[in-house]
Amino acid sequence: MTGFTSWRLPAYASLAAAGVVAGLALGRVEPVALAAPFLLALVAAAAGHEPQVSVRLSLGRDRALEGDEVTATIELLSARDVDRFEFLVPLPPELSIEGGPARAVRLRADEEKTIELTLHCRRWGAFALGPLLVRARDVLGLRSWEGSAGEARRLRVYPSEETLRSLVAPLETQVFAGNQVSRARGEGIEFADLREWRPGDRLRRVNWRATALRRELWVNEQHLERNTDVVLFLDTFAEVRAEGRSTNDRAVRAAATLAHGYLERRDRVGLVGFGGFLSWLVPASGTRRLYAIVDTLLTSSIVLSYALRGVDVLPPRTLPPQALVLAITPLLDGRTAAALLDLRARGYDLIVVEVSPLELVMTDANSATGLAQRLWRLSREALRWRYEQVGVPVVTWDEGVPLAVPLEEVNAFRHLARPA
Amino acid sequence: MPGAALGTLLLVVALVFGGHGLGAALFLAGGTYVAAVVSAGNRIDASATLMAVLLLLCGELTAWSLDERWRIRPEESLAWRRGAAVSALALAGLAVAAFVIALSAVPSSHGLLLTVAGAAAAVGAAGSGIWVARR
Repeated sequence: MTGFTSWRLPAYASLAAAGVVAGLALGRVEPVALAAPFLLALVAAAAGHEPQVSVRLSLGRDRALEGDEVTATIELLSARDVDRFEFLVPLPPELSIEGGPARAVRLRADEEKTIELTLHCRRWGAFALGPLLVRARDVLGLRSWEGSAGEARRLRVYPSEETLRSLVAPLETQVFAGNQVSRARGEGIEFADLREWRPGDRLRRVNWRATALRRELWVNEQHLERNTDVVLFLDTFAEVRAEGRSTNDRAVRAAATLAHGYLERRDRVGLVGFGGFLSWLVPASGTRRLYAIVDTLLTSSIVLSYALRGVDVLPPRTLPPQALVLAITPLLDGRTAAALLDLRARGYDLIVVEVSPLELVMTDANSATGLAQRLWRLSREALRWRYEQVGVPVVTWDEGVPLAVPLEEVNAFRHLARPA
Repeated sequence: MPGAALGTLLLVVALVFGGHGLGAALFLAGGTYVAAVVSAGNRIDASATLMAVLLLLCGELTAWSLDERWRIRPEESLAWRRGAAVSALALAGLAVAAFVIALSAVPSSHGLLLTVAGAAAAVGAAGSGIWVARR
């Protein structure tokens, strides 16, 4: 720990010295009497010793959800008395502590003191708490010793998820068994069609009513139940942020919600973080994949980059054939727009969920800024039109609206548009 | 009077701007008092003890006030302990200052001894100042 002296000590020392010297020079006792209490304060300051305090920080749990409370426990042990021991838990803006992050306590020799703090997790993210900033002071605050103590503890705050009653069904399914009704016919539950009996057909599949009408054997055909591959394409090139809200925050929440929904259906889900910092996860299924996706999402951030980047930079296994690509983007960067059009040209089943940044932008219709905003909105409209021309549904997700609303819009679009 | 007024003004400035100028304020107040005592004549002013303690309390209470501005949640006992410590320091200062004043009543035949003690105190104070400056 580094020792410091209060700004009072030089002043007190100067006053004491001046009083004694003035007393000698003037031959008066009053200046010496004035100096006496300040000399005493200097003696009191000199009596202070550097403390030896061990600090241990622990968290009640290392994973939490947005809005949860986590208990942080701080254990202090000192070899000798410390009149005033202050500590500060350095916190990111996404976390807060009830009653403030700084506390002051008195430590007695060899007596362990435990302090419990309640952490409020206000926003998702991966955080490191600690080491603590500590300061020990004498009782008058004339001398102090400062430093950092305790080891850093990691805390992962997962984004809160929305409840989805239905998800967007992919156009194509994969070869593994799952919960998605495939367009292909075979052994399944959902009735698909009737056809004439062929050698090898099982007797239980014979439709006796149709057979009686046509006087020859007809059998039922069913749709297969298969799984699907879903790739969540997160645009991290740019965001709009205002008053603690941002398009990236909502995009991450949407991605976590969709990953959870599809993985519950036994689908395989992958992730592509497409931006200044590229990240990806190959599609897979299971709870482990869900944690991997959410952990990757926690570290996703907007990284400024001028690099021209296309989908060619992604490993081939990241985007398997016939996968449903769900792009979550604020449509702010042309590189993402071009990459998505490229994906569509390669035959991927693409859906664009536009995280609307318009609520976060101040509108002023009467100035040059207003004119620029109108042009910007028109260019966004033109981009949406380009997507729709190639059969890509673009749905706008406004702030405050449940994610289920744009997803239902996609389903409606697919019913009407019948994309190829 | 101008010195006392300037000292008061500096004290207010110190309170507003986080302690800057407090030393000068105390110095001016003490200097004004000494000038007033010297100009009054050779009679010893017994109120010097009270003046010394008030100057010390002025510095300590200003510092305490500034410390309370930090957003630190303290244990309740800390305020009581600091209050007790400041009181004890003030009382001890009062006693020492009174002792110094009382010593001045000693017959002048011990003048050399007192002068040596004063010089030692001056050296001690200067040494304390150097110690503080080096830390």
